[in-house]
Amino acid sequence: MKKMKKGKITMTVTIGIACFALALIMTMQFKIVNETDITSIENMRESELRTELANWKSKYEETNQQYEEVTEKIEEYKNNKQSNEETEKLVNQELEQVHLLLGETDVQGEGIEITLRETNKEEISRITSDDLILIVNTLKNAGAEAISINDERIINMSDIVDINESFIKVNGQRILAPYIIKAIGNQSYLESALIGNGGPIDEMKKIGQDASLQKENRIKIEKYNKEIKMKYIQ
Amino acid sequence: MNKKVISIVLGIMCFALTFGICVQVRTVKNSNSTVSQNYEENNLRAEVLKYKERYENKYRELEKAEDQLEKERQSSTQNNEELERREEEIKKGNKMIGLSEVTGPGVIVTLSDSKQETNSVLNPSSLLVHDADVLSVINELKNAGAEAISINEQRLVPTSSISCGGNIIDINGEKVGAPFEIKAIGLPEQLSSLTRQGGYLEFLRNDSIGAELKKSNNITIPKYTGLISYQYAKTVE
Repeated sequence: MKKMKKGKITMTVTIGIACFALALIMTMQFKIVNETDITSIENMRESELRTELANWKSKYEETNQQYEEVTEKIEEYKNNKQSNEETEKLVNQELEQVHLLLGETDVQGEGIEITLRETNKEEISRITSDDLILIVNTLKNAGAEAISINDERIINMSDIVDINESFIKVNGQRILAPYIIKAIGNQSYLESALIGNGGPIDEMKKIGQDASLQKENRIKIEKYNKEIKMKYIQ
Repeated sequence: MNKKVISIVLGIMCFALTFGICVQVRTVKNSNSTVSQNYEENNLRAEVLKYKERYENKYRELEKAEDQLEKERQSSTQNNEELERREEEIKKGNKMIGLSEVTGPGVIVTLSDSKQETNSVLNPSSLLVHDADVLSVINELKNAGAEAISINEQRLVPTSSISCGGNIIDINGEKVGAPFEIKAIGLPEQLSSLTRQGGYLEFLRNDSIGAELKKSNNITIPKYTGLISYQYAKTVE
C-alpha cells in the first residue's frame, strides 16, 4: 500500500516535469515564430535583388547601345577616308552633339516654365540662391536636358550665388526677381518632381512664397552666351 | 480520485502535445518556404552576377572602341587644317562635358560624418553629411572656378543631379556614401577660398562635421561612364 503510493507520487512528479518542459518548449517555439517573420525578410531580399538585376541590365543595354554607335562611327570614318567632304560631314555631326551637350546652342522642345516672384510681405522669406540650386537639381534629377534662369543657361559648371542678400548671380551675371526658370524635358516628370508632395515648388508655396509652374509644348532656351573656359584641365 | 487526477494530467499532456505538434508543423512549413525562396534568390543572384559581368565586358569593349574612334577621326582629318581644328574642338568639348578623363591641378575636399556621439546632441541628423551639403560645396567650387568635378569618382556632367537616399546619396544613378571625396580641377589658390570665414566648409565644421581641403598639383578625374542622350532638346538655329 505504502509502496504503491510512492510510485504514484513519482509518476505525478514525472508527468508534472514533462508538462513543464513541454510548456517551456512551446513558449520558446511561439516566441521564435513570432519574432522572425521569415517570409518578409526573404521577400525584401528578393525584391532588392530584382532591382539590382534591373539596374545591371539597363546599364548593359545602355553600354551596348553606345558601343554600337561608336563602332558605326568608326566604320563611317574608315569608309569615307578618301572623301574630305564625307569626313567633314562626320566631324560636323560629332561637333554638333558636343555643342549641344555643352549648352552652346539654342535648343527647343517640350518642357515647363516656372515663375518665382518676391512677395511684399515681410514675414515671408525672400527667394535665395539655395532655392534656385534646389530647383535646378530637382529638374536635372527629373531628366531636364536644358535649363535657364532669366535666360542665363545652366551649363555643367554654372554657379548660383547670393550677393549681399540683395541679388543673385548666375554664371557671374546679376539676375533680378521675378525669376523665370525654363526647362526642356518630359513635361509630366518635370512637373511632378517640382509640385509633388515635398517638391521644391510645393515647399515654397507651403511657406507662402509666390511660385507657379506652367507646362509648355514648345519652349526655347538660349545658348550659353560666353566662351566656356578651359585653362587647367588637360 | 486517483484515476481522475491521472486522466486530467494525461488530458493536459495530450493538449500540450497537440499544440506542440501544431507549432512544429508551422515552423517546418516556414522553413520549407525559406528553402524554396533561397533557391529563387540564388537564381537571381547568379543572374545579377551574369549581367554585371556582361556589362563590365561590354564597357571594356566600349572603351577600346572610343580610343579607336579618336584615332580614326584624327587620321581622317590630319590632311585638312580646318577639319583638324574641329577634331581638336571635339576632344576639348568631351573633356568639358565629362566624357573623357581629365587631369590638372586643383583641390580635394573631404566631407565626413561627425565623430560625436549621436545621443550627445539634440538633433542627430545634424551630425551627418546631407545631399544639400554636397550641393552647396559643389556650388562653391564652381563659383571658385572649378572646371571639372567628381564626387567619390562620379564625374559631374551637365545632367548630373544629387539626391538623397537615406544614409547614402545618389549621383548619376550610383549610390555613394560618406566620407565624400570631392575632387575639383582649377586654380588651387582660388579653389582654396572655400575655407574662408563664412564659407560653407566653416559652417559644416561648426556642426562638427569633418570638412578638409587639400591642394594638389596632380588630380585625375574620371570620365562619366553612362550615356548622355537628349530626347527632347533639339538644336535650333
